Amino acid sequence: MTRIRRGYIARRRRTKMRLFVSSFRGAHSRLSRTITQQKIRALVSAHRDRDRKKRDFRRLWITRINAVIRGNLVSYSYSRLIYNLYKAQLVLNRKILAQIAISNRNCLYMISNEIIK
Amino acid sequence: MANQAATAFSGNMKKALAGLRRINLEGLRWRVFDAKGQVLGRLASQVATVVQGKDKPTYAPNRDDGDMCIVLNAKDICVTGRKLKNKVYYWHTGVVANAFSVCMNACVYRYIGHLKERTLKEQMERDPTEAIRKAVLRMLPRNKLRDDRDRKLRIFPGSEHPFGDRPLEPYVMPPRRVRELRPRVRRAMIREQKKAEMQQSNKDMRKNRKKEVEAEVTA
Repeated sequence: MTRIRRGYIARRRRTKMRLFVSSFRGAHSRLSRTITQQKIRALVSAHRDRDRKKRDFRRLWITRINAVIRGNLVSYSYSRLIYNLYKAQLVLNRKILAQIAISNRNCLYMISNEIIK
Repeated sequence: MANQAATAFSGNMKKALAGLRRINLEGLRWRVFDAKGQVLGRLASQVATVVQGKDKPTYAPNRDDGDMCIVLNAKDICVTGRKLKNKVYYWHTGVVANAFSVCMNACVYRYIGHLKERTLKEQMERDPTEAIRKAVLRMLPRNKLRDDRDRKLRIFPGSEHPFGDRPLEPYVMPPRRVRELRPRVRRAMIREQKKAEMQQSNKDMRKNRKKEVEAEVTA
């Protein structure tokens, strides 16, 4: 058998990976073996966090709504607001409520006072 | 006026103003909590919420946006039950040297220390602000922002503070449903009330007798 060199096959594959990790810090964007490892870790994190993102943002909205609602009446809380919302069959979701809370707090107070009745 | 307020404050001025430069003070409010007659844990819970910034709609868990909290009258804080004698603060002394040894997964102490303890009563005599500070600190989430939040807390044992020239806002505690006394405690309270009434009536009788004696002498 004649001797066969691998040539440029490995290098072509690795340049693609290098492009992916080009903005990483230190050895994670320079050394070939660490590049393969870091690419795998980055993609795994992205995959897992795409589902986490939905959870995290919902948590953040709930905390923000809670913060604003508690400043309105005595002993009023996020849980009671959601209960009243469902009773009044209002379809506002937490994202919109949080945005209203940041931009226009009085509007949220008006909504909540309307639903309490 | 600022100078007058500053000189009226007796106590560690340096400690009160420590680290103020590190905090980015723009847009932060200065909330004043009065600890007189408040229960320790319930006050600390409210302070912790305010210091974290959890009463603002722009709360974000990755940055610290809490208001500056000033707690006054720390020596007048109350606790329920027998906590003045029975609540004990524990801590351990001793320095850890090699935390991760390669062969054994154990931490090796450089100096052997001991378990130290101190009751709430002793702590209030030494430094009443520490009780509130520990309570609030242990209610904050243990992350990198905890130290920054600690810097925003200023606690004073009396009602004087050197921040008189800032725009201060008093914090109104939310109303609380105090549960009614348990039967044994209630009976003890009634007994003490009756004792106090008996002593009062004894004093009045003695006063009346003295007045009668004086009246007889003069007459």
